[in-house]
Amino acid sequence: MPSLLILIVGLPLLAAVVTAVFGSKLLGRHAHWPAILGIAGSCLCSLALIAQVSDKQSHSAGPSQAGYAETITLWNWADIGHAYDQAPKAIAPGADVLAPGADVLVTPGGMRRFTIDITLRADALTAMMLGMLTFVATLVTIYGAGYMHGDRGYWRFFAYVSLFVFSMTMLVSASNFLLLYVFWEAVGVCSYLLIGFWYEKPEAAAAGKKAFLVNRVGDFGFALALFLIWVTYGTLNFHDTANVAGVLGQTRLLGELGFVGGGVGFAICILLLVGACGKSAQFPLHVWLPDAMEGPTPVSALIHAATMVTAGVYMIARCMPLFLAAPDALLIVSVIGGITMLLAALIALTQYDLKRVLAYSTISQLGYMFLAMGVGTTAAATAGVFHLFTHAFFKALLFLGAGSVMHSMGHVIDMRRFGGLRRVMPITHFTFAIGCLALAGVFPFAGFWSKDAIVAAVHDKVHILEHQGMERHGNAHDAADPEQHAAGRAAADVASAVVTPSVTPVFGLTPSSRARVYQTLYGVAIFTALLTAFYTFRAFFMTFYGPLRTPHEAGPHPHESPRSMTWPLLGLAFGAATFGVLFEGGGWSPLFAKFVQGSPSFAYGFAEYKEFHPDVAMASTVVVLMGIALAAYMYLGHQREVDWIAGLLQFRWLSSLQNLEWVNRAEQHRWLVATKKLAGQLALGWLYGLARGLVVLLATVAIAPLMLVHNLSPYQLSSRKFFFDEIYNAVIVAPLRLLATLSYWVDRYLVDGLVDTCGRFPFGVGRFFRGLQIGLVQFYALAMALGALVLIAVLWLGAAG
Amino acid sequence: MPTDSQTLLLLFPEISLVCMAAVIFVGGTFGNNRRGWSFYALAAYGVAAFALWRSADAWSGGAAAYMPSGPFAVDIMGYSLRWLALATGVVLTLLAARQAPKQLASEFLGGLMLVVVGVMLVCSANELTMVFLGLELVSVPTYMLLFLGRNDRATAEATIKYFFLSILASAFLLYGMSFLYGLTGSTSLPEIRASLAAAHEIPALNVAQQPLLQATLVLLLVGLGFKIAAAPFHFYAPDVYQGATNLTAGLLATAPKIAGIAVLIRLVVAAFPPDDFIWQLFMTLAILSMTIGNVCALWQNNIRRLMAYSSIAHSGYMLIGLAVAAAANSLLAEETSVANLQAANLQAAGIAATLFYLTVYVFASLGVFAACSLLAEKERGFENISDLSGLAKSKPWAAGAIAVFMFSLAGIPPLAGFWGKLSLMTESLNVALPFNGSTLATAFCVLAVVGMLNAAIAAGYYLRVIAVMFFQPPTGHAEPSVHTEPVGGWLTGAAVGLCTVAVLGIGLAPQMAAEQSSRSEDGVRVFVTTHATQPAANLATLEIRGAAEPEVTQQAASK
Repeated sequence: MPSLLILIVGLPLLAAVVTAVFGSKLLGRHAHWPAILGIAGSCLCSLALIAQVSDKQSHSAGPSQAGYAETITLWNWADIGHAYDQAPKAIAPGADVLAPGADVLVTPGGMRRFTIDITLRADALTAMMLGMLTFVATLVTIYGAGYMHGDRGYWRFFAYVSLFVFSMTMLVSASNFLLLYVFWEAVGVCSYLLIGFWYEKPEAAAAGKKAFLVNRVGDFGFALALFLIWVTYGTLNFHDTANVAGVLGQTRLLGELGFVGGGVGFAICILLLVGACGKSAQFPLHVWLPDAMEGPTPVSALIHAATMVTAGVYMIARCMPLFLAAPDALLIVSVIGGITMLLAALIALTQYDLKRVLAYSTISQLGYMFLAMGVGTTAAATAGVFHLFTHAFFKALLFLGAGSVMHSMGHVIDMRRFGGLRRVMPITHFTFAIGCLALAGVFPFAGFWSKDAIVAAVHDKVHILEHQGMERHGNAHDAADPEQHAAGRAAADVASAVVTPSVTPVFGLTPSSRARVYQTLYGVAIFTALLTAFYTFRAFFMTFYGPLRTPHEAGPHPHESPRSMTWPLLGLAFGAATFGVLFEGGGWSPLFAKFVQGSPSFAYGFAEYKEFHPDVAMASTVVVLMGIALAAYMYLGHQREVDWIAGLLQFRWLSSLQNLEWVNRAEQHRWLVATKKLAGQLALGWLYGLARGLVVLLATVAIAPLMLVHNLSPYQLSSRKFFFDEIYNAVIVAPLRLLATLSYWVDRYLVDGLVDTCGRFPFGVGRFFRGLQIGLVQFYALAMALGALVLIAVLWLGAAG
Repeated sequence: MPTDSQTLLLLFPEISLVCMAAVIFVGGTFGNNRRGWSFYALAAYGVAAFALWRSADAWSGGAAAYMPSGPFAVDIMGYSLRWLALATGVVLTLLAARQAPKQLASEFLGGLMLVVVGVMLVCSANELTMVFLGLELVSVPTYMLLFLGRNDRATAEATIKYFFLSILASAFLLYGMSFLYGLTGSTSLPEIRASLAAAHEIPALNVAQQPLLQATLVLLLVGLGFKIAAAPFHFYAPDVYQGATNLTAGLLATAPKIAGIAVLIRLVVAAFPPDDFIWQLFMTLAILSMTIGNVCALWQNNIRRLMAYSSIAHSGYMLIGLAVAAAANSLLAEETSVANLQAANLQAAGIAATLFYLTVYVFASLGVFAACSLLAEKERGFENISDLSGLAKSKPWAAGAIAVFMFSLAGIPPLAGFWGKLSLMTESLNVALPFNGSTLATAFCVLAVVGMLNAAIAAGYYLRVIAVMFFQPPTGHAEPSVHTEPVGGWLTGAAVGLCTVAVLGIGLAPQMAAEQSSRSEDGVRVFVTTHATQPAANLATLEIRGAAEPEVTQQAASK
């Protein structure tokens, strides 16, 4: 197993180094081979790793609560003998260590050994992530060989991609928070490099910068979380070492030392969440992802859809025991997820850029995953990770399909400029359709199973919470739905036995109010499913149906993409179509869930409760079909009706009011013409002009709010992305820029002026002493003698006085 | 006392060099082959180096082998400085192989060898007569060498200036020495020290002889300050350097400086009684030299004039170490044995820092002059810094070497100059820290601050040279220029390479020197704890500690 892990991370690194060193000169057009071979090898090793982990899991007789994990330490990176530390405390399981008001910082501090080992781990979660990541990466790299063909930076592309795959494999297999952070930054750098891959394009350079800066905000939170974990737990390792219990190690999971709850636990989780929000483009840090579509499309598929952006979800999944100790943080995770998925889906409705539609859809789907992570049950967490897994396939598929369209349309991606491509690009059309069905969540495609599992888990959570609430108040629950409630109570019992009872909530919400929150989120999830189906098929119909239209950039004979691009599409389409059934099997044989539950992060403290809900599945299916039908009607249906609806949503009736043409038209009226003429004859032309100006002014004042309302029409809100960019510009960017300009002027004139003045001083002194150098030897001799006399005189006078 | 044969063995390097020089002088009349005599001179230095290496056996028994009596002090300080003098001689001879006047090459090489012998004698002289004779052996051939360097008015003027002022300085020095003899009745340095220390113990006598002692010190400082070009006895330096050739300027910048620093350590720091005025004088001269040297150098365009001011400033830096040692000396006699130990360590550290700085300075400064010779062998060569513009393109290796020397002189890490400045400033603060609040502490804090400010000012003109070489396009100056002329021969190149290796080596591996100094420090501690009460012991301790970097010097010289 150690050699496998090392190979998985080592092969892409080797490929990156080889491509970087030999790429520009030696490899040339063949620069893709090291990357493809390295990543494919890594993929094979990952599959072997999954098999091994699965085998070990089923044979390990250890306590189920701790799960199965194995670590290998490669070398010691840093070792500080006496790092300052707040004295770490032994924490009893489930004990409420810190009351909300208690201040952890007043405890006496001490010195503690701080070591960072380069440690890799193998457990179910890591193995799953590695398998998914390397599989998608292999296909995307092959696709990239076709897509990037003939690009000036061909080798650079593959060097970056290999580097990214290395960083990402390290990210998911690191067994230490600091290492996780390092590679969290490393994938960010790769993302920056690849977004700005075509750096001559100003938009691409700006998008790269934006992604990097927005991510800094998140990373700041993550870094703070690490500091807090260090002072709270006294280590940054996930695993146990010889003398220190790791944050997520066996010792804690088996209950000898619990997890910190209360205010500190809440703070840790919220800070981690901030980090996750940055990387996974969640509200309010979601603004960078749509712009990141400036990068090459394979990059959008691999980094900004399938893998890197799911790092936030992975991190929360990895830290699930920490979050379970802080239920209020869990609630916030869910709420963030809910807001994001709704917001992004609403924006996606009106975008014309095919890749941006997909980008907002990615944000929205990540919102689903966050929602699932925030529920805090085994079913929800595994469902969230499962959605991460299936989403990687169908979203990568959709992006690669979009890339295929873009490739053949001469890099035009505006859906208004092409249409009816289904006959031109049959394979792309077919695979894109599968991707759309999976994304919309139509039975039996992959997205259906994972999305349904999430929605169902939220549904269950509502029941669990309702039961807790009723028991707390001693009420008999109402018997409207005895079956479900019985199940809910059973789950609640398990849950309370393990974690919930003694954790003091920070917000003090009662279970029933929590239940209301989750109930709302459940509704939002269903509604978002409708929107998802709509915008997905809107894009699909606009691109592939209707009369054939192609932009002139595409040339006279647009054609299907080369085979190196269509084969990966087919491979991903297979995954998107079947992985749901294969790995979830309708809840009867949940292979995936069983496998992932063996991970230490998921093995601890969950309420076991899992059932396939036909009613939830039915509801979401109906909603999805409605969405598809609506899209078909709007984009394939009768044009005039569609226009009418569109007009209604755009507040088009307001725009007619805004037009001041009527003033001119009214002036043509013969009464007014006569009045004007009369006024002119009476030398009162100025009075007429004044009156006219007044009327126009009044009309403008009256219209101003209407214009505002017009800009806030549902259509405008969606199409302008709820003005997030504008608001951030005004509130954050502009003041900072002002401050920067101010600092620049202060530095340039005040500070530099002072410094220059100081610099001129030695020159002035030098000019004086230079003047003494007159070149006469008599003077030099005199100066020596005088110097001696003065020194003697000073010494004698000093001694006397 | 050593036997005659031992004495002969100890002085064999000097004796052999004098004989060889005589051979050159005589032989030169029969055949004046510049190249042949140069190789002969190099072989002579090789023989001397071998003899010096063998002579180490005589005292390698450690501190016990120190022989304070007699006209020569045989100790680590003298030993390491003799290596430095030999290395200087080798580098200058390598340069002379191409630069010395063709007709008078043997005279030039022989004179150079005598200068080296003079420096070596001064470095181990333990007696006033010996000191003076050694210094004259440095000065007199130097007059000749300066004049031989080139045959024009500017050179003649420079030689005459140096001649007159040097004689004046020698007169001051001799005057001071006569006072010293009058005060103590002896010319032997240990006896002078014992006598002055004894007088210092008796308050009435101390008060009576204090003014005379002060005047003596000032007179001695005029003579020695002239040798090391310390302000206000520095006036000759810019004029003479400018009039000299690169080779003779390199000689002026190094040989008298090694000799002067050696005498200052032996005579003033070690032999004078612990009085406050000594470190005050050193500090005054240090601040004056650093400041005047650096601010005037800012205005220079002539490379040798710039280097003259630079050498004035570096003398100031070295005086910081001596001021530290003198201050520690004045603290030594006073308090408990713990404070004594601390003060003894400080004294040793101050001297070690000065010697380290001297070594670093000698190589960097010689390197600059060697590189200038490399660029322009003809007569006067290039004169101005602006001539160097664009050198990085036309002669990248030469430009790189000059850049290394300039960075080192400016004290940029990781080059040798940085460690030198670092140790000087550290010792200055180390004196100040334990005596927080006293005048002495304030003074040394000010000294460190002034030193650092000066380092910043100095960076201004050193980096300007680099900027001109690397970032300015070649200007349209008259042919032939440094760009078109071929570089000097491989002997000159070897001289430049030797200096570069020394500067880079000391810079990159200062721990070698540090190990050496810590070994010596242990020796110091053992010595001081056993002989804490004997004032004479201090002399020995600091000289053991003074061998902070003989390894490096040996390396350089053996190449």
